[in-house]
Amino acid sequence: MARELTVTVRPRPSRLEGLDRSAPVWIIAAAALLLLMLLPLGWLGYLSVSGEGGLTLAHYARVFTDARLQNALWNTVVLAFWSALLSLAIGAPMAWLTARTDLPGKRVIRGLVMASFVTPPFLGAFAWVMLAGPNAGYLNKLYRGLTGAETPLLNIFTMPGLIFVVALYTFPYAYIMIVNTLELIASDLEEAASILGASRLWVAVTITLPMVLPAILSGFILSVLQALALFGSPAILALPAGFHTITTQIWALFQYPPKVEMAAAFSVPLLLATALLLFLQKKLLGRRGYAAVGGKGGQRRQIALGPWRQPALLACLAVMACAIFLPYGILAKAAFSRAWAQPLTWDNVTLGNWSFTFLSISTQTAIVNTLELGVLTACVGAGLATLLAYITNRRLIVGHQLLAFLALAPVVIPGVVLAVGLFIAYTRPPFLLYGTLWILFLAYLTKEMPVGYSQSDATFRGIHPELEEAGRILGAGRLRVLGEITAPLARSGIIATWCFIFIGVIRELSASILLFTPNTKVMSVVIFDLKEEGQFGAIAVLGLFMLAVTFLAVVLMQTLLGRDVLGARPSGGSG
Amino acid sequence: MRKLLVLSVLAAFFGAAPACAQDARVEAAKKEGKVVWYTSLALTSSEKVAKLFETAYPGIKVEVQRTGSQRILQRVMQELQANIKNVDVIHTSDAGHYVLLKEKKLLMKHTPAGVDRFPPSFKDKDGYHYGLRATVNVIAYNTKAVSPAEAPRTWKDLLDPKWKGKLVTAHPGYSGVIATHVLALVHLHGWDYFKQLAQSKPMLVQSAVDPSGVVASGERPVAVNGGDYTFYQIKKKGNPVEIVFPKEGVPLVISPTAIAAFAPHPNAAKLFTDFIFSREVQQVLADTEGLYTGHPEVKYPADRPKLSELKLLLVDPEELEKRNEEIKTRFVEFFGA
Amino acid sequence: MPGVSIRGLHKRYGDVAAVDGLDLDVKPGELVALLGPSGCGKTTTLRVVAGFLSPDSGEVWVGDRCLSSPATVIPPERRRMGMIFQSYALWPHMTVAQNVGYGLRFSKDGRRGVPRTERDGKVTEMLRVVQLAGYEQRYPGELSGGQQQRVAVARALVVEPEILLLDEPLSNLDASLREEMRFEIRRLHETFGITTLYVTHDQSEAMVISDRVAVLDQGRVAQIGTAEELFERPRTRFVAEFIGKTNLIEGTAERSDTFVRGALRLRVFDANLTPGPVVLSIRPHQIALGPASLAPPTSGGENVLRATVLRASYLGDAVDYQVQLDGGDLVLRVAGPVTRRFRPGDAVALTVLQCSAVRL
Repeated sequence: MARELTVTVRPRPSRLEGLDRSAPVWIIAAAALLLLMLLPLGWLGYLSVSGEGGLTLAHYARVFTDARLQNALWNTVVLAFWSALLSLAIGAPMAWLTARTDLPGKRVIRGLVMASFVTPPFLGAFAWVMLAGPNAGYLNKLYRGLTGAETPLLNIFTMPGLIFVVALYTFPYAYIMIVNTLELIASDLEEAASILGASRLWVAVTITLPMVLPAILSGFILSVLQALALFGSPAILALPAGFHTITTQIWALFQYPPKVEMAAAFSVPLLLATALLLFLQKKLLGRRGYAAVGGKGGQRRQIALGPWRQPALLACLAVMACAIFLPYGILAKAAFSRAWAQPLTWDNVTLGNWSFTFLSISTQTAIVNTLELGVLTACVGAGLATLLAYITNRRLIVGHQLLAFLALAPVVIPGVVLAVGLFIAYTRPPFLLYGTLWILFLAYLTKEMPVGYSQSDATFRGIHPELEEAGRILGAGRLRVLGEITAPLARSGIIATWCFIFIGVIRELSASILLFTPNTKVMSVVIFDLKEEGQFGAIAVLGLFMLAVTFLAVVLMQTLLGRDVLGARPSGGSG
Repeated sequence: MRKLLVLSVLAAFFGAAPACAQDARVEAAKKEGKVVWYTSLALTSSEKVAKLFETAYPGIKVEVQRTGSQRILQRVMQELQANIKNVDVIHTSDAGHYVLLKEKKLLMKHTPAGVDRFPPSFKDKDGYHYGLRATVNVIAYNTKAVSPAEAPRTWKDLLDPKWKGKLVTAHPGYSGVIATHVLALVHLHGWDYFKQLAQSKPMLVQSAVDPSGVVASGERPVAVNGGDYTFYQIKKKGNPVEIVFPKEGVPLVISPTAIAAFAPHPNAAKLFTDFIFSREVQQVLADTEGLYTGHPEVKYPADRPKLSELKLLLVDPEELEKRNEEIKTRFVEFFGA
Repeated sequence: MPGVSIRGLHKRYGDVAAVDGLDLDVKPGELVALLGPSGCGKTTTLRVVAGFLSPDSGEVWVGDRCLSSPATVIPPERRRMGMIFQSYALWPHMTVAQNVGYGLRFSKDGRRGVPRTERDGKVTEMLRVVQLAGYEQRYPGELSGGQQQRVAVARALVVEPEILLLDEPLSNLDASLREEMRFEIRRLHETFGITTLYVTHDQSEAMVISDRVAVLDQGRVAQIGTAEELFERPRTRFVAEFIGKTNLIEGTAERSDTFVRGALRLRVFDANLTPGPVVLSIRPHQIALGPASLAPPTSGGENVLRATVLRASYLGDAVDYQVQLDGGDLVLRVAGPVTRRFRPGDAVALTVLQCSAVRL
């Protein structure tokens, strides 16, 4: 009561007093994101229409009339469509088998799908060169040895070969979408139909399928997006066969003398196509309130496969053999061989690839660069994503919806396109970053923002706002609450975000390939360079090293999250 | 500093410099600490040269950046545009590049010690760049897949439809060796030759080093081009590879080296350039790498033909520079990518 | 000890007006419950008072300080308030002592943080008050629901707030514990005498705990008063319906104390009706039920009605009857004693002991 008297009479507080002292932090984070997104894309759009005499559509006219570029465009459409279809054909049955049936070894299969999810696609493509090159490919040699045939069984340097390899590392996206939906559908819904007299097949067609359909379509679209954005696999498999995709063509336009305007004009349609696809996917998921399918209470009973258990398991393992066992096996063999195509006899065994790889200064620099960039991007990215997700979850500033949109927007930007934008934006004043690690850092930060953001978003959704409000009302300011209450609660989520970004960064190729300079090479670029020189052993060593680092991060993340990577929302990271 | 500079200029002027001047040059280079070498020489070879230099001059690091000739030019130009001064010594296999770089005043005049005795084709008349090494483009085949009797003997033999799906070629858009090769064969047989060659759907690889690996693995049994040294090396490792020197002649590729006008480590660059033209290094290039050099005292392995025994197809660097874009465009037109 | 004054509060979410012109005065040291169905704006009002939301218009005053107005909102951390949340909002990564002691560190306008040396003593003392002595080093996850609730109470009270806000604090407890905690909260209020706003949708909870209850309807205060006032003399149809079970009959006020609906005539006690259409509220237990023989044969005495039992439901401590008035379609709910039972079809006499009327 005595205290009460000491308070001076202040009828109304001043504006300053009411101001949230944490506001500058949110505004700076928002501005950083805005700059990060708009600068490269703005330049990209501008350069695509700028000519010597002002604005022009000449670059677009050339893009759409040049037969070579049109071919690349068409090849990309073919590749994206078929590889997405194949992804679905692999991912959907496997999702159903692991989610709803008594398939043996479901956990193992799920683990292997996850391994395929984190395998850099270009490493897979590279391994498949050794497996299914028409003449020297291990599988073809085996086939010829067994059958005495002249012609190869498989030729990986063809469009079907490319589609096959792309699908092997894209199908996890379809799998994730579908498996997560299937696990939401309570058996009651199906049993309700059974009790009314529907046969098992009829139930599947009329009840289960319509409920999973949006997930199937959206898995298809996600796979298309992946295939559209890929650079490494087409560069390794399509170029030797003499055809281009959009991404490799954009890369080729960057060779000396670089035709940056053309590359920009070629990038914009790709950007629009991916944006349109993503929009479609959102529409599909938004309709019919399908997300609420099951509710949490429903039980899921397993469907007995009966005599089909073993064949189904074999089919799953066959896919995993193509995606994991064979490629990893051949990489391991190449890493210890003098000549990868020769049998692994004592003469052929060597540690030379290892010493060559790890003693070479360029590789050492690249490894250091990669890890530096990985750690730096993961730290800054996780920090920024956390702040942004916090802002949007707690609606701290006006226009927070726009922030969420911007943070997720890079999903539609293929790495090569982003790199073109960044190259244009940061090779001229006011930001001269080309030739430094910073431009790569910006590329990775932008590219990984959607992953980081959705991961942090999920984290904050799990933290009840009242926990923070309790701190506020007791006298702690917003930033203090963020530091002392929210951050400790979100810690494992934030570290998982960190790992997600880290994994994405160390495997990144498609943006790096346009942005590196000799001093700023990263591992993926070195692998690509070594590929051009035919250094299979060194590539295998570096690839295995990259996989080892990746799996280390995955294990760390799983421990922290208490669930596997696949439970998370998929996003647009790719090589 | 100024004194050092004067000394180093003097040293360069007198060629065989007195010991103290030599020491001053080394000191100046050591102060710079490193030399950055953009090179198209195969990674294993260039790292070997770098190690030799680092042993000879402890305290000066060589930063090897190995990639294809065309990529090197692209990087240099891009870096200049972004105002990055990184490279000291530029070494590609496309002599045309040096015509362009010299024209743009991007090269530093420096005559390495002892090059006066090199053949004229290895020397720039204005003294900006000198041929570090040479190779000839050859045909090679996998002896397990192709018998000597049916192996191609001439460039024209490769047009035989029986080679369909069996050939591999490197890319002039990546490799200077191959760009030179293409121009030489265009002189010999015209563009029609490549148009017909493309009918056999050869596998496209990038580097002139790569065909050797492809042939050795048996992925494609016949390489339609590639530096003979790459085949020689892989053959010496015990791979079933045989080299064919076609009768029409072999395109000679002399790969020049020069110091960038804006080199951030000029003293180390000069020291390094002098070093790689020394008899010791040139002999190493010939011995372990199977390269040809301009050094008159270099001895070649007995299993290598002498350059003088070969019919060489020469290409004018100026023409190579002028037709660079045409070579790339037409090649892509015929071969697809 | 200041009171709270809310003046003309408006708060919209998009097109929906959550709070629509709300006025409320809480006297110093008083406990007022905000009672209403979900969506009536009670939680929004509480959150505006706490400073988590800013008003579209209107003001919130505490004593002589204006804390919220559309122009300026003092952030929650400078309001010297305490709050107990529906979810308790205990921080799982802190011990009980850390949770309770958290607020002691901060200085709030005109008030210093408690020196480190005194904090432990205060925490221990407060835990003793809420009967959790010895639980200092436990983590919230190791406590039962009731114990967590007590920690939340201790955490809010230990900082000696000027105003205490409670947001449905008992809704997560099971029935028996809830009963116990009602008295506990009332006891603490009587001990500390802090001006308190208590949000709940449970009317019996509101009646037990509060000095006065404010019934909220569509973002406004429909009526504020003691439990008895609200129950006996609801001022709107909504309040009459919301507080307890009742029979509502629409009709006309003929005189200041007479209600008429067709043949039905009732005298309304201590009412001051203005003639015109009104709604009459008769609580089921305000009707006495007797055998038809007790009633006068025809129109009968004052407020005695003849009726027939339609349904009787035995509830243990009472019997819930639905009866139809003779000569009309009106059906009334009547609570009768278990000692004298009627069956469906029985003719009965109803005596309306008390009723109130609300103008339409």
